[in-house]
Amino acid sequence: MNEGIGTGPASAPDTSTTGIALATREPAHHAEPPAEPSSDDFRSARSLPVEEGWYKRAVFYEVLVRAFADSNRDGFGDLRGLTDKLDYLAWLGVDCLWLPPFYDSPLRDGGYDIRDYRKVLGEFGTVEDFVEFLDQAHARGIRVITDLVMNHTSDQHMWFQESRRDPEGPYGDYYVWSDDDTRWSEARIIFVDTESSNWTYDSVRGQFYWHRFFAHQPDLNFDNPAVCESMIDALRFWLDLGIDGFRLDAVPYLFERDGTNGENLPETHAFLRRVRKVVEDEYPGRVLLAEANQWPADVVEYFGDAEVGGDECHMAFHFPLMPRIFMAVRRESRFPISEILAQTPSIPENAQWGIFLRNHDELTLEMVTDDERDYMYAEYAKDPRMKANIGIRRRLAPLLDNDRNQLELFTALLLSLPGSPVIYYGDEIGMGDNIWLGDRDGVRSPMQWTPDRNAGFSSCDPGRLNLPVVMDPVYGYQAVNVEAQSNSTASLLHWNRRMIEIRKQHPAFGLGDFHELGGSNSSVLAYVREFVDEEGTRDVVLCVNNMSRFPQPVELDLIAWKDWTPTELTGGVPFPAIGELPYLLTLPGHGFYWFSIHPAQERG
Amino acid sequence: MTSPGGAQTEPAPALEALLPSLVTWLPSQRWFAAKGREVSAVRILGHQDVTPPDASPAVVHVVIAVEFADGGPEDWFQLLLGSRPGLRGDLEHAVIGTLGDRTVYDGLADGEISRLLLSMIVSDTTVGSLRFVPEPGTEPPIVGPGRPLLGEQSNSSVIYGERAILKLFRRATPGLNPDLELHRALGREHSQEVAPLLGAIEGELAMAGEHADRGAGGTAPMTVAMLQDYASNSADGWSMALTSVRDLLAEGDLRPDEVGGDFAGEATRLGRTVAAVHTELARSLGTARLDADGVRAVADWMLARLDQAAEAVPEVAERRAAIAEVLEGVNSAASTGLLVHRVHGDLHLGQELRTPRGWLVIDFEGEPSRPLSDRVRPDSPLRDVAAMLRSFDYAAFHQLAEWEPGAESPGHLQRRAQEWADRNRAAFCDGYTEVTGSDPRADLAVLRAYELDKAVYEVLYETRNRPNWLAIPLRSMERLLQSP
Repeated sequence: MNEGIGTGPASAPDTSTTGIALATREPAHHAEPPAEPSSDDFRSARSLPVEEGWYKRAVFYEVLVRAFADSNRDGFGDLRGLTDKLDYLAWLGVDCLWLPPFYDSPLRDGGYDIRDYRKVLGEFGTVEDFVEFLDQAHARGIRVITDLVMNHTSDQHMWFQESRRDPEGPYGDYYVWSDDDTRWSEARIIFVDTESSNWTYDSVRGQFYWHRFFAHQPDLNFDNPAVCESMIDALRFWLDLGIDGFRLDAVPYLFERDGTNGENLPETHAFLRRVRKVVEDEYPGRVLLAEANQWPADVVEYFGDAEVGGDECHMAFHFPLMPRIFMAVRRESRFPISEILAQTPSIPENAQWGIFLRNHDELTLEMVTDDERDYMYAEYAKDPRMKANIGIRRRLAPLLDNDRNQLELFTALLLSLPGSPVIYYGDEIGMGDNIWLGDRDGVRSPMQWTPDRNAGFSSCDPGRLNLPVVMDPVYGYQAVNVEAQSNSTASLLHWNRRMIEIRKQHPAFGLGDFHELGGSNSSVLAYVREFVDEEGTRDVVLCVNNMSRFPQPVELDLIAWKDWTPTELTGGVPFPAIGELPYLLTLPGHGFYWFSIHPAQERG
Repeated sequence: MTSPGGAQTEPAPALEALLPSLVTWLPSQRWFAAKGREVSAVRILGHQDVTPPDASPAVVHVVIAVEFADGGPEDWFQLLLGSRPGLRGDLEHAVIGTLGDRTVYDGLADGEISRLLLSMIVSDTTVGSLRFVPEPGTEPPIVGPGRPLLGEQSNSSVIYGERAILKLFRRATPGLNPDLELHRALGREHSQEVAPLLGAIEGELAMAGEHADRGAGGTAPMTVAMLQDYASNSADGWSMALTSVRDLLAEGDLRPDEVGGDFAGEATRLGRTVAAVHTELARSLGTARLDADGVRAVADWMLARLDQAAEAVPEVAERRAAIAEVLEGVNSAASTGLLVHRVHGDLHLGQELRTPRGWLVIDFEGEPSRPLSDRVRPDSPLRDVAAMLRSFDYAAFHQLAEWEPGAESPGHLQRRAQEWADRNRAAFCDGYTEVTGSDPRADLAVLRAYELDKAVYEVLYETRNRPNWLAIPLRSMERLLQSP
């Protein structure tokens, strides 16, 4: 895959206090295992004021460093390029950037195979570049979180190389080794397309090692206290530099126990509580976001004890909501969404869901029934190349046939359903995908900045681009780019910016209760978000969404707000006051309304 | 008449003074079934004070008989009247008339009265002949004022804070209302397919000699109202099915299984739901097998309905022999015996509510126009299945009738509607089979007889009431006569 480009041994190794070079591919057979760098070796980014619960109101933006902007003409996006684009992100109004892993990696799994937790991938830049990026982001009030893969490392990580070389050495017990490959057969194989077992034989050590994901990603042994310490120290390294939190990748699988499927074990939760305590004690205001692709009833476990407001992760992704949004619109029925929200338990006071329409992974269909999965394939993946694993890999705009009305409806849902929205880079301008690229690269093509060469992403030779820019007539960079959309206030980009702005004006979106209103028309999803602040001020937002492509009427029971007035939020137009009778609204096909409802103004 | 409770004074003569107002008020009520018939007189059959008559508000339960100028059979209704010495402005729309210095109005419009009714149910109260009973083993809702539900057809309901719904049966019928009876039975089975019963208001109806034909002499029990869980955030199956058909008809070239709005998943779930209700009804209230004579009686009853329709509708008269032959198909069950138990009796997509937790079946009153003795008779579950199959046909073709009323729909649209009906009828039967283990299509002759019986009844009904829709059951009738 991408291995080798710019990652050769020539890249200057960081030196540790003991002065031993890191990341040597061939472990020196008689040398002591190398020590790791400390955060003291680097300056730290300026910090933002500690703001409790900021993540509950934030709009997140997932940006792939590799695909955003290339500052050094090598065809790869990098941290300096991303730093240059911070003004754009600030203008768009996003509050927090989520960066998938930028650590040193052989890149056999998009960087989720980490070779060194304390080093930046060569083509992205250096730790110093990261600190500068973080500093500049903070200067604009933008926070940054990144992925941290705790469950496993790359098989090229020094820990694994030492572990296989020297079973009796300090890293000998860092991974899960076994003389046979029969244990824990209850654990499912996650990447069914490529892996046939969770065990792989290592000829160097002469034992099998355990891996829940790819064979080149051995699972760390969290039953070894030294592994726990090493992992927490890796977190501290980045927290010391100023990072605002982590998305913890693949958290359900940290431990293994006989007779279980190895997911969501109590030991895993205990370790997460320990990590949370480190964050609370040493780095207040930073967040932990769990990636646990499980049913909501299981995921809430990752928020921890509700009695104390949550003592594990601050946030967790709500996975099943996303395919349900797609299904509801195709079915022209609110019930796929109503059902999943009704099955979603309440969460601790300081917890928040992360919700998304699309991200760098495929549209995950693990959370729908077989019946529904067949249907989703039929609807959204007419070309078999669009399927990967058990999901669908497309960007939002092509999934919706580039229909502006649906793009707006989906985004309005993303920004108003309970949870903090995560926008995937490029979706704000309606970028397309490239289904001819392998694996999940189809949705990782370069950000389209301008109609110029390489979409303004890089000034390198076009042939040198890491991934080609999208060039088809509908979604190609000459038609879809930031520059053109910046110049037109009617563009999708401006529309998205405006909606983000409106969301930020109303705390109810991020903090409010969610109450579905029902209503006689099954094609209309209507709900109220309500937040009462400490002074008793009520912020009440009414959201009405037409899942049908045809115009629809709906009568809503708003008697609880009798005599109050709804004001439409994008234009500020007051609607008729709410009376005794059901409130009648008519919506255009795929239309939606956001209203603020408030007591009638007293007239002087 | 109801025996006056202790608090009763002399209201009867006073109530009579309200009768002229009722004559003008009744025809404008949605639940008043005899629209179009001129009311000649209203009589009071009985009443029971719920509160002392000088309370504010005061509540009285009244049963009335309505006589018509056409000399046809009278109708009986029940009212819950509220009265106050001065009137609150928000009750003006519910005013019926005045009695002395008191204004009388439809009591359910008054939140204070609906609160009182709920509190009396929760606290298990008896006033004279009226018994307010909570359902044992259920958690009572929090007592508060209710809010009238708008847009109802034959009854009147109030909703308590999205938690409970109190339904006042408008028709006064001697005997236990099957809606209450079957909800009780299903409650004993802990049914997940109905909204749980929370309580009821039950009374007595005095049967004067001249009305002895409508029940036994003396007094008969009568169901006044029932209190149930309120299925908030629900939508009915009829409107959802129409949404799906609309989606299909708007597609140029996709089949029903290819369009986004495919309803088959819901139809399968509906089949499972109806099958579960049948299983629970059979378990709770027992089953029987009709022998050859019993089956013959079912066929005779269908043939009688056929004759009724043939008299009024030429299209039916022309095909009387062919229809009768299909209806006789029910006799094919004579050799094994026809399984019967209590059924819903008036099932259609509009009697099913989709909630975020699945489907609920509502309104177990049976076909309201049939006498109670018919409605409580055990029948084949295939009657409900056939009724659902008919409903899918209606949903498929209703759209065509509504879209361009009067215009002949193009043939390709007719074919697409038929594809939709076929797909969802099959999906419903599949879901039904999953739960009961026996496929209703296995007794095809019996199922077809029940379906045709229903279609013939619909032809008669539409001829009389909705001629615009007549084409739908006529078409189905033809199809049922043709297919093997």
